[in-house]
Amino acid sequence: MIEAASQPLWLTFIVAFILMNVLLVGMAYMTYFERKVMAAMQDRMGPTRTGPKGLLQPLADGIKLLGKEDLIPASADKIVFYFAPLIVFVTAIVRVAVIPFGGTIELFGREINLFVTDLNVGALFLLAFGSLGVYGIILGAYASANRYSLLGGLRAAAQVVSYEIVLGLSLVGVFLLSGSLSIRDILLQQQVDLQIGPLTLPNWFILSQPLAFVIFLIAGVAETNRAPFDLPEAETELVSGFHTEYSAFRFSFYFLGEYINMIIVSLFAATLFLGGVDGPGSDRYWGMGVIWLLVKVIFFLFFYVWLRTTLPRFRYDQLMGIAWKVLLPLALINIVVTAFIRLVGNGQL
Amino acid sequence: MPWDVIIFYILATVCILAAGGVVISNNPVHAGVFVVLCFFNVAAIFVMLGAEFLAAVQVIVYTGAILVLVLFVLMLVDPDDLPEFHAARPVQRTVGLLLGAILLLEVGAAILNRTVIGQQGNATPENVAAVGGNVQGVGRVLYTNYVLAFEVVSLVLLVGIIGAIVLALPERLGAQPDQRQGTISLGHPRGTDAAIAAGPLGETPMPPASPREPRSVPTLDPQRELIMVRDPDEYTTIGRR
Repeated sequence: MIEAASQPLWLTFIVAFILMNVLLVGMAYMTYFERKVMAAMQDRMGPTRTGPKGLLQPLADGIKLLGKEDLIPASADKIVFYFAPLIVFVTAIVRVAVIPFGGTIELFGREINLFVTDLNVGALFLLAFGSLGVYGIILGAYASANRYSLLGGLRAAAQVVSYEIVLGLSLVGVFLLSGSLSIRDILLQQQVDLQIGPLTLPNWFILSQPLAFVIFLIAGVAETNRAPFDLPEAETELVSGFHTEYSAFRFSFYFLGEYINMIIVSLFAATLFLGGVDGPGSDRYWGMGVIWLLVKVIFFLFFYVWLRTTLPRFRYDQLMGIAWKVLLPLALINIVVTAFIRLVGNGQL
Repeated sequence: MPWDVIIFYILATVCILAAGGVVISNNPVHAGVFVVLCFFNVAAIFVMLGAEFLAAVQVIVYTGAILVLVLFVLMLVDPDDLPEFHAARPVQRTVGLLLGAILLLEVGAAILNRTVIGQQGNATPENVAAVGGNVQGVGRVLYTNYVLAFEVVSLVLLVGIIGAIVLALPERLGAQPDQRQGTISLGHPRGTDAAIAAGPLGETPMPPASPREPRSVPTLDPQRELIMVRDPDEYTTIGRR
């Protein structure tokens, strides 16, 4: 764990509050971004009427969803019905606490950390809360008292659990190279230079672990139940799958929880594989670091929307087959090869 | 009172109440959710002890994977099929409560007399930091001192997986009771079918080894006459008032 400035607790709360709000606003405008990009790819306009260029569309969506009638099925399990969407939402937001948006800066005469906390098992914290998010899905599916929702929820849960394994194993390669589970540690190790022949490149792990990067991206898309892995919530398959019976703001918790998950996975990928806040000018101005991180995150979010617009969805057995028969062996091979190369490189073999 | 003691008591209380909720709740899925709550609090207590790796692994593996699969099963079980505490005979209930009280007294006596409260093991923060952290410490011990136990556990898990796959093969779980082969009833009256020649435990017999017949293609229903209650023109108001 790298030494971080010990700051008073209230300052950490302020940083956490700001990060949470940035995440929530980003999630709202992620919906707008997706609609605009999907529209552009489909040769149409997307939202244009609410506000200039449709920029107030997320606000209008929020007001609409708050005003809708909140329907609860008569035979639904009320307590579980209330809590299930909250689990998805809360476990998604909490994960931003371990993502570093920079180092320690001097502002207003104090030393402020640009991250909420630096756990020495930060990457496992992200995976842990990701696996807790699946409870929101199955409990919501169960509480709906609707057998199609239950089927959709069980499918989604099985999918998430399978791809979670693949996600974790693809990251083991990165942990082998960096020797640490702390995300800030991994970030700092990517800021040194790597000599590949005549080129001096930053030590981003996408260059040292390309296979792990590809597997991580695929598993990340599947973890968030996004196309092409969105059979559990596909409109044409099971009505809306596990969130069929949810209306108004409860539905928006699921919906927005999915978008926050997308943002977190993009942040995670940008930090672990693309060097996070690393970029030209980021070591002098911390603002440039944040801007570079934003550019990388937007690139991954664009990739998500691009996949959704272009690819047809996988059938459920194909989806599970890919996880267990293709990605898992590839991730294991990646681990073995990485460990072998590291031992040979260290002269320990 | 220092903060960590207060937080520990809060976590421990929630954990115990959740464990009580597991036993008390009528609905099996509620019991599963209470187990999740209990394990999550146990993970928080691990964090307080400085074992963050163990806490993360507890949440990822135990809560996030194993309990999800347990909840799968619980969701597909009809609550009427489960035994009920209040349907037991009075003798059974009394003996059960008595045994529970004896167990509680034994565990309490063991905790109060034979533990090393207040003493530290050799995983002190200095030792852990010397090795390089929690993960490094666990890794060193697991792959050197306990590597045999590790390999044996992985073999046991493999046997479990293979057993589950074999038990769930399509030939065994036919849709009709007379298509099932080699299954065992759980002793519940609805688990057996009187039409099959069942063994003493309710087993259905395995068939003699024979080649599998090809599955037949289902025949389509012939055209059925469509009977409507109202005239189709009555369903629309477009162009009419």
